[in-house]
Order: sequence, then C-alpha cells, then structure tokens
Amino acid sequence: MKVLTKMLRLKGVRKKVRKKLLLVCLAAFMIFTAACSKNSNDGGTKPSDATNKPKETTEAKTETPKPLDKVTFSYFNGVAAAKDINTNETTIGKILEDQTGVNFKIEHLVGDLNTKVGTMIASNAYPDVMIPDAAIDKILDAGAFIALDDLIEQYGPNIKRVYGQYFNQMRAEDGKIYFLPFSNTVGEYIPDPNINQGAFWVQRRVLKEAGYPKITTLDAYTDLIKNFVEKHKDEELTGMVSLTHDWRFFATSNPPNHLAGYPNDGNVIVDMTTFEAKTYAADDNTKRWLKKLNELNAEGLFDKSSFVDNYDQYLAKLTSHKVVGFFDYGWQFGNAQNALKDAAKQDPTQDDFVYFPLPVTFDGQKDQYLDPPGFVKNRGLGITVSAKDAARIVQYLDNLLTDENQILQKWGIKGDTFEVDDKGRMYRTAEQIAKIDEPFNEKFGFKYYSWNWPLYAGGSFPDGNSISPGSQPEVFQLSLTEKDKEILDKYGVKTYSEMFAAPDDRPWYPAWGIPKEQGSPQQIWETKKDEITKKYFPKLVLAKQADFDKVWEEYLAAFSKLDTAAYEKWTTEQIKILIDAAK
Amino acid sequence: MNNSAAEAVSRKKSRIRSSRGDQIFDICNITFLTLLMIVTLYPFLNTAAVSLNNATDSIKGGIYLLPRIWTLDNYSYVLKEATIFHATLISILRTVIGTIVTVFCSAMVAYTITRQDFVLRKFVTIAFILTMYFNGGLIPNFLLIRDLGLLNNFWVYIFPGLIGVFNLIIIRSFIEGLPESILESARIDGAGDFKMFYSIVLPLCVPVLATVALFSAVYQWNQWFDVFLYNSSNIDLSTLQYELQKILQNSNASLTPKSAGDAFANANNPGGNTVTPFAIRATMTIVASLPIIMVYPFLQKYFVKGMTVGGVKG
Amino acid sequence: MESKPTMTTSNLVLPKKPTGLKRFGIKLLEQRVLVLMSVPFLVWLFIFKYMPLWGWTIAFQKYKPAKSFSEQKWVGFDHFNFLFQDERFIRVLRNTIAMSGINLVLGFVTAITLALLLNEVRKVAFKRIVQTVSYLPHFISWVVAASIIQTTLSTDGIINELLLWFGFIEKGNEILFLGIPEYFWGIFGAGSVWKDVGWNTIVYLAAMTMIDPAQYEAAEMDGAGRIKRMWYVTLPGIKPVIIVLLIMNIGYLLESGFEPQYLLGNGMNIDYSENLDIFVLKYGIAQGNYSLSIAAGMFKTIISFILLFGANNIAKRLGESRLF
Repeated sequence: MKVLTKMLRLKGVRKKVRKKLLLVCLAAFMIFTAACSKNSNDGGTKPSDATNKPKETTEAKTETPKPLDKVTFSYFNGVAAAKDINTNETTIGKILEDQTGVNFKIEHLVGDLNTKVGTMIASNAYPDVMIPDAAIDKILDAGAFIALDDLIEQYGPNIKRVYGQYFNQMRAEDGKIYFLPFSNTVGEYIPDPNINQGAFWVQRRVLKEAGYPKITTLDAYTDLIKNFVEKHKDEELTGMVSLTHDWRFFATSNPPNHLAGYPNDGNVIVDMTTFEAKTYAADDNTKRWLKKLNELNAEGLFDKSSFVDNYDQYLAKLTSHKVVGFFDYGWQFGNAQNALKDAAKQDPTQDDFVYFPLPVTFDGQKDQYLDPPGFVKNRGLGITVSAKDAARIVQYLDNLLTDENQILQKWGIKGDTFEVDDKGRMYRTAEQIAKIDEPFNEKFGFKYYSWNWPLYAGGSFPDGNSISPGSQPEVFQLSLTEKDKEILDKYGVKTYSEMFAAPDDRPWYPAWGIPKEQGSPQQIWETKKDEITKKYFPKLVLAKQADFDKVWEEYLAAFSKLDTAAYEKWTTEQIKILIDAAK
Repeated sequence: MNNSAAEAVSRKKSRIRSSRGDQIFDICNITFLTLLMIVTLYPFLNTAAVSLNNATDSIKGGIYLLPRIWTLDNYSYVLKEATIFHATLISILRTVIGTIVTVFCSAMVAYTITRQDFVLRKFVTIAFILTMYFNGGLIPNFLLIRDLGLLNNFWVYIFPGLIGVFNLIIIRSFIEGLPESILESARIDGAGDFKMFYSIVLPLCVPVLATVALFSAVYQWNQWFDVFLYNSSNIDLSTLQYELQKILQNSNASLTPKSAGDAFANANNPGGNTVTPFAIRATMTIVASLPIIMVYPFLQKYFVKGMTVGGVKG
Repeated sequence: MESKPTMTTSNLVLPKKPTGLKRFGIKLLEQRVLVLMSVPFLVWLFIFKYMPLWGWTIAFQKYKPAKSFSEQKWVGFDHFNFLFQDERFIRVLRNTIAMSGINLVLGFVTAITLALLLNEVRKVAFKRIVQTVSYLPHFISWVVAASIIQTTLSTDGIINELLLWFGFIEKGNEILFLGIPEYFWGIFGAGSVWKDVGWNTIVYLAAMTMIDPAQYEAAEMDGAGRIKRMWYVTLPGIKPVIIVLLIMNIGYLLESGFEPQYLLGNGMNIDYSENLDIFVLKYGIAQGNYSLSIAAGMFKTIISFILLFGANNIAKRLGESRLF
C-alpha cells in the first residue's frame, strides 16, 4: 500500500501540473477566439464571394455597364503557376482594372487537380472563371461552363477577330463554344529562336574537336560520340543517357518519331498524304532506335542507370560534364543547361560543356523538330455557371485582346520594360533584360498575364514586331555570349532554330492535344501502353545484343494485347475532323 | 535524479559483480545505437546541407553533409512570403487546440471502455475500432463537411479528428495496465466515474498521454490536405504546411513550359532561376519540421518522469 | 481479472431480477456518467465516420459527381469485375501483401528491439539523444527520403563504392539495385525501417514506464542477466500493447503504403513494386473514375474486417489481451 500513498501524493503534484495545463489551455482558447472571431467573419463572407457579387451585379446591371464600378471575380487556375494574388496588385492588372473596373482574385491549385475539381462539381460551387487544365472534360461534362457564343456576339468584337479563324475547332459537339484556348497564332508565325522543343544534344567541345561537322543522321551522331569517348578514355565519360523518370518517360519513347522526321504528335505519326494516324511504339522506327541504344549499351556507351535514375539524378549527370550526348526537350533540362550556361558566362572555357542541339534523323531526311504553329484545343479558360455577371467578364477578356493591351501583357511599358527604335522595332536593353527577373515578373504581372488569358499567343503584331519578346531577334541576340555567337557562326546560322528545318503545315497539330474523355478506351490504351513500354524498353536496351530480337518478340506479344487499331482509328477520325474544321 | 529504476538496479548490480557479459552487452549496445544515430541523422543533415547550398549548384548533386556554396537564398525565398507568419500562427493554434482536445476526449472514452461493467463497453469499442478500416470516400466526406457548415472554418481542423481511434486504443491498454489497487481504493473512497477519470486515471496516464499528444501534435502540424480540401480559398485559415506546398509548386511551375511556344519569353534569361524545386523541397523540410521536432525533447521528460513514478518504492 | 467493481454493482442489481430491456435501462441509468462520457462521442462517430458511408453506393455506379443520386447510372459489380479480372490483379495483390507483411514483421521486430535496447542504456543523456535522433527521419517526407535512397543505391552511390572497395564487385559491374525486381521488397523494407523505427519505439517506451521496478529487482535476485531481464520482465511488461497493436496492424494488411512504391518504382522493378494503391491510382483516380477507387476501398475493408476479427479471435483463444 506504500505505492498507493506515493501515488496519491503524486496526484497532488499532478493536479498542480494540470491546473497549469488548464490555464495554458484556456489562454490558448482565448487567443484563439480572438483570432477566430476575425476568421469566422471571413468564413462568413468567403463563400459569399458568390453572395457578394449579386449586390455588385445589381449595381452594375444598369444595362449600360459602367466600367468603373469596381468588381472582383474569383479565378481558379488548375495549374500551379504562381502565387495567389489579386490582379490589381500587379502593374499590368492595375492598368487593366483602371480600364475596366474588374479585378480577379487568382487562386492556384495546390494539391491534386482531380480531387479539387471533383469537390467543386459535387457541391456545384465554382469560381467565376476557371482554367481546369487536364480536368477540362470533367468540367464540361458536368455542364459547369456556360456557352460563350451569345456573349461573344454581343460583347466580344476582339475575341471574334482573334479567335474567329479557330471557332470551328473550338466548338463542342453541340456546336457551342465553352472556353477560350490560349495557343492561337496571330499575324505571321515566328519560331522560337531557342530550342525549347526536342533535339539530340551534344557537348559543344565534341563539335569543336571534330571541326564542327554537319550531323544529320543517327549513325553520324553516335559515331561522333563514340569517337569522342574513345579519344578521352581517361575522363571516364558516359556516351549517352536517357531520361525515363515517371511521366517524363516520353523523352525516351518519343525519339523514333522525331528520327523518322515527324514533330511531337504524341503517340502517333500522322502520314502527310493520307492523314492516317499510326502509333509507333512498336513499329520499325522504335525498333531501330532501341536497337541503336542496345548497341551503344553493348559498347559501354550508354548509361544503364538511365532506367532507374530519377529526374534530379538525371539533371545532376547532365551538369557533371561527363555526359556527351542525349535526346531531350529543351524545356525539360532547362535547369541543367542554365547551370552550365551560368558557369560558361563566368568562365568562357566552361562553354565546352554547354549542350548544342542537332537536327538528327534516321537517314538524314528532313527533320521536323520545330513545333508547327499549333492550336491546343483541350486547354483554356471558361466562365462557370456560378459566375453572376458573365457579360462583365467577357468584356474584360475582350478588352485584353487589343494590340495595345497585348503589348502591355507581353512587352510591358515603353521606356520601362522595352524600347522602340527609329524603325519601329521593339527591343529590350541589357539593363531591362537584367531587371526582369522572377520577383519583377510577379510584381509587374508578366507572370500572370503572359499566359492563361485569351491572348495573342504567338506570331507578330501588324507592324511586324514579334508578339513574344523572346522571339524578337533583337532581344535574342542580346542574350547570346561571344561563344554562343561563335558556334552559331560556324554553322552559319543566327539562331538555334535555324539549325532545323521549317515546320510543315499541320492543321491538327498537336495530335496529343485532341481532347480525350477521362476513363475512355483511348486513355486506358495510353496508360497501358506506358506501362508496357516502361517495362520492356529497359529489357530491350540492356539485353545482350544477340537476344535483342527475342526480347523484341516478347514485347510485341505484350503490346499486341492492346487494341491499338481502335486507338489509331479514333485518332485518325479526330484528325480528319480537325483538318475539316481548319478549312 | 532522473535515473531510471532499471539503471539503479543495474548499477547496484554492477557494483556487486560487474559481470563480463553485461559489459560486453553495454559496449555492443552503445556501438549499435551510435551507428543507428549516424544512419538516422544523415538524411536530416543532408537535407539541411542542400537547403543551405546554392540552388543551381545543387543540381550537380554530390552534396552530402556540408554545403558546397553556402547561401541563405533558399530560406529567404521560402520565408519572404508575408503569408507564412500568419499561417504559422494558425498551424500552432490547430496543433495546440487539436492536441489538447483529442487527447482529452480520447482519454475520456478510453476510460469508459476500460470499465468492465459498462453496459455499452463492447458496443462503443467495436463501433470505434471498425472506423479504422473504412472510409466513405472523398466526396461524401466533402459534402458532409459542407453541410455541417465547416467549409472555410477553423473548426474543420478540430472536429473531424476529435478522437483518434489509435490513440484511444493505446490509452485504453495503458489504463488497463494500471495497478488495480489504486483504482479500487479510490472507488472505495466513493469517487464517481468522472472524478475517477479526471483525478486518478489521467494523472497516472501521463506517459501515454504524452505519447498520444506527440502523435496528434505531429499529425496536426503536418496536415495540409484538409486545408486544401476545405479552406483553400481563405488565406486567413491557411497553415504553414499548405503555404509551403504552394511555394514548392510555384518553384516547380516556373520551370515547366506553357503548353506551346515560348509564352514565357523572359525565361530566356539563364541564371534567372535562383531556386529549384530540389532546393526548395529541402528548405521546406527543415522549415516545417524543426518546430515540431523541438516538441519531442519537451515531451520526452514525461516518459522519463513516468519511469521515476514507477520507480518510487518504499 | 478486474471484476471486483463489476461484482459489486451487479450484486446490487441482480436481486431485483429485472430482465431484458428494462434491466439494460436501469444499468444505463446507473451508469449515466459513463454514458455521458461516451455517448456524445458515439454521435460524433456516427456523423463523421458512418454517415459518409453512403458513398459506397458509388462503387456500383458509373459515378458522375455532377449528377444527383437518383440520376446516377447503376452498373452493378462492373467495377469489382474490372478490378478482379485484370491480369495484373493477382500480381498487384501479391506485392501489396508481401510488402505489407514485410513492413509488419520488420516494423514490429525492429521497433521493439530498439525500445528494449534503449531501455538498457544507463546514461540518460545518451539515451535521450539516441531517441531524439532516431526519430528524425520520420519528419523527412518520402519524396526527400526516396531521393536519398536513390542516391545511396545509384551506381556511383555509397553502397556500390563500398562493394567496390571491399572487392565484392568489379569496376563497371556496379549493381543497379533499383533495376533488379527481386531486390525491391528488401529495399522497401529497409527504407521503411530506417525511416520509422525511431518513431515506432515511442509507444513501447511509454509502455515500459508502466513496468513495476520491483519485478526487475526480483529478476535480479534470481540472478537474471541483462538479456534475461529484457526477455522475462520488459518484454512481458509491454506484451499487452504489442498484441493490441499487432491485431490492429494485421487489419491493415492491404495497406502497404503508396509513396515509397510510387517514388522508388520504375519500369524495371514494376513487377515487384506496383501495389494495389498504385494500380487504383492509375486506373481509377487518374482516369477520373471514383467508382473504381471506392470499389477497391470496399474490397480492402472487407479483407480488413476478416483479418481483424480473425486475429482478435486467435488472441482470445490464446488467452492474450485482445482488441475488443
């Protein structure tokens, strides 16, 4: 019983402790209630972004909308693009608010898109304006977007001018337009001078040592790498790597398509005469590409870790100076290339390790690496059924599409973020280029307005200036180092994209942008195809050379279980529809 | 003072006959635990090193225990957001309130199901346990929260987690292990059930309550999914973890292309990218976990004290 | 065991010999304090946990969130059939159970061992430091942890460097650990232990505070050494907690986690890394098919219940403490 008395004595002590705890608890509660009363107020007004609006709407609904009645709409972006903000907190947004009286409260997706959109649909509560990104067919399916046709007719002269030629492609099955895509071209098409798209890349020192040869075939490309690695045995170089991590696997599965002389149409190659879509994941092009990798692997020129490395490890290898060449899309290894370029800026000898893009095809046929002017039809911005004053929103969107406001959105303010020379050419000074960094982009609003709104996505203004500053030759030339100019000079070109053939006209481009219903046979096909290729490509590349054909047969057997014919038929039909719509 | 009983015992013992086996055991034990410490400390040190290293340089890999190019840029990038501080406050509030509430409620229910004669005992126990293994799904839960008026509401952080079943069971096991004699004598003194629970059982359960408090605190602190689902459009209710998620996704986004073309002309400017997702992830790991890690040593003393309590003998 | 109070109360009630409902009512009234302490939480439980169960109907529909309940299209067991008839289902299930089993066994053994070892450390400061440090990896997200694991296991990682140094492998023959399917479960198990062993010991350490020190003394009198005391005093002392946790976790056999498999998995090891959750993600959630994920959830729940009641029954027969 001694224990008991101890315990009970202890109880006294505990009691004190607990009193203290209770006090703390109480204090916390009081602080909280203080904080909460504020919060619950917000909680009260918040859903009322919706309830709020009717009030303002009624004010504004004096039939002749007075543009200066201030109104705030909610705007949800299904792509995490920037931090949440009110547009009128940016320079561009403030100017636009002064013109229209409209402000947007932008919210970006943070977690999983399907989850977020699912809860919106289930509770039938949407932001006024939204970009559902990949969940767009769910939103359409749920009837969450209002048809824009009448509104455009009434309030959208500029929308008609800019998007008119695409209207047929934009129509849903019921013939109505529900959202405005972003990737329309205006005026004359100007290709991106940089290679942000696909290419076979090689270290500049390799080209220098080989005397800047013209490389157009895959064999020439691999020989170039082979010779270089052999000559530099002591450096323990890696001939080639390939990116395979997670969804980025297409960097390994797309090359056969490019090598055959086609642009990135996703899973299919579209014949230029019959317009038949054929998948290439199991055709001779892919076989030829994998056989090449298999051969390189046998010669110790391919890094077998490629199939297990994650994206960070891949980027680390590209910046290690040890990797001679690889295929990838420019935007995808931009981080690594930037690190290399930074080093080269500080020390020109490091320029050797910067990667240079080459237009490689199987047999030296005409390449099609550069994106044709495309129109991505399955992404865009729409107005939801929750929006109380759609007319006002359409007016705002229409107002964006004037030449002046497009210059504002893309180039900014004259004298501040760009200059105009006496020939009327727009350019940026070195200081301006240096000034426009990430924080400036946010503050000024380029970050919010250079995409994700109806806009002139690419092409040129009536006066011939490029819509996108990055495509304006004057701006591009300023960004080049002496070494950059030197190597471009050796190849007799002024920009990187001049290394490549001009893109042919493909009205359906990009075929990967054809909307597919979620859970549809086409999507299931793609998921399964991904699974099979991810499983068999490593086997094929790492197999003993003698076994390659045997493993290829196994792969074909697995692949044949998919209903590829149906997928091709469906895609072909869609492409035909798009060709007709473009006529 | 803090010597545990086991320790006292073994010390006495070692004085009497410092058995060779015991010594070997000690050496092996300490060696093993030291190795374990190295292995478990590494990821944290590595993450800290990456967070303090220049982001562009980190792309090259090869950062292990020390940064190669020291910088605080990653931290200033993460902490520059004005929203972070308010969000931290909300995180602290939900952690403190959520923990206190769930520990108290779980303990109370746990007490009732240790009372063997309680008529609803079996029913309550099974009703709670079963819920560990099913879930109605995301959308029904969302609609429920909406219908209860908990959208854009601080209490959505507290109510749905009022009782943790796991915590409940752990506390129950603990109460069942208490010496019967204490409970019995209190009962003879005429203590009612609530008094029994509040004055006798709770104080005796401090070690397990500290454990459960730790579990709940960590859970509350790390939660961001409920913010995402229920409170995402009210910045005043955002939490630290959620704000960090936003920052991470933004740093990801500035590198991904817009679907076509060169919409982002200014990205032509190499060196403009001072941060990378890799560096931001490391930084936010440190920012988010340091505060909550500090809680442990504080609670740890209750485990040790618990030992002393048990160790008091006449 | 603890039947004394029970006896007294029931003795008071029994003489009146009320039966059935009435007796229940009387008891309820007598125990109103206990009722007040628990029933409000039962209400809470019903609202927050049981009410959303109407969502299970989604598993039998071609669910569209925009439609009301009455407008949904009913498809019977289609989603279950899709799940069970897929040729990969067996493999995916095997992987799930294997990894979950590994986690269960390894997780328990290592956490208990570590708790026992920590309990034997005499220097309090050292003990505290080890405890604090060992639980640090729990706070590293799987994304970061997986990236550390991948670096460690890469061809130029520390493991291959060590193997080279000891001469187990030759240069150029570095092992592609994550590319060998059969290694995956092991890597997963080791990674999980590394990440959570410290965290998992906490509950056992708390349980050890309950052990009456007199028992240690008695054991010592009998001449038991350290190992014997661990075995005969400490371990039995925490046995009730171990068993309860074990039963609970057996119920989770189809929950093998998601993140580590997703992050460490790749095309080469997919035959061993893909588990049920990943499968459901790919063909359910990613395709916007809520119904499939609910169907999979129901399947898991049924299995969980079977395992839970089974394990609880076995514990009961063995005369051990049980969950309910």
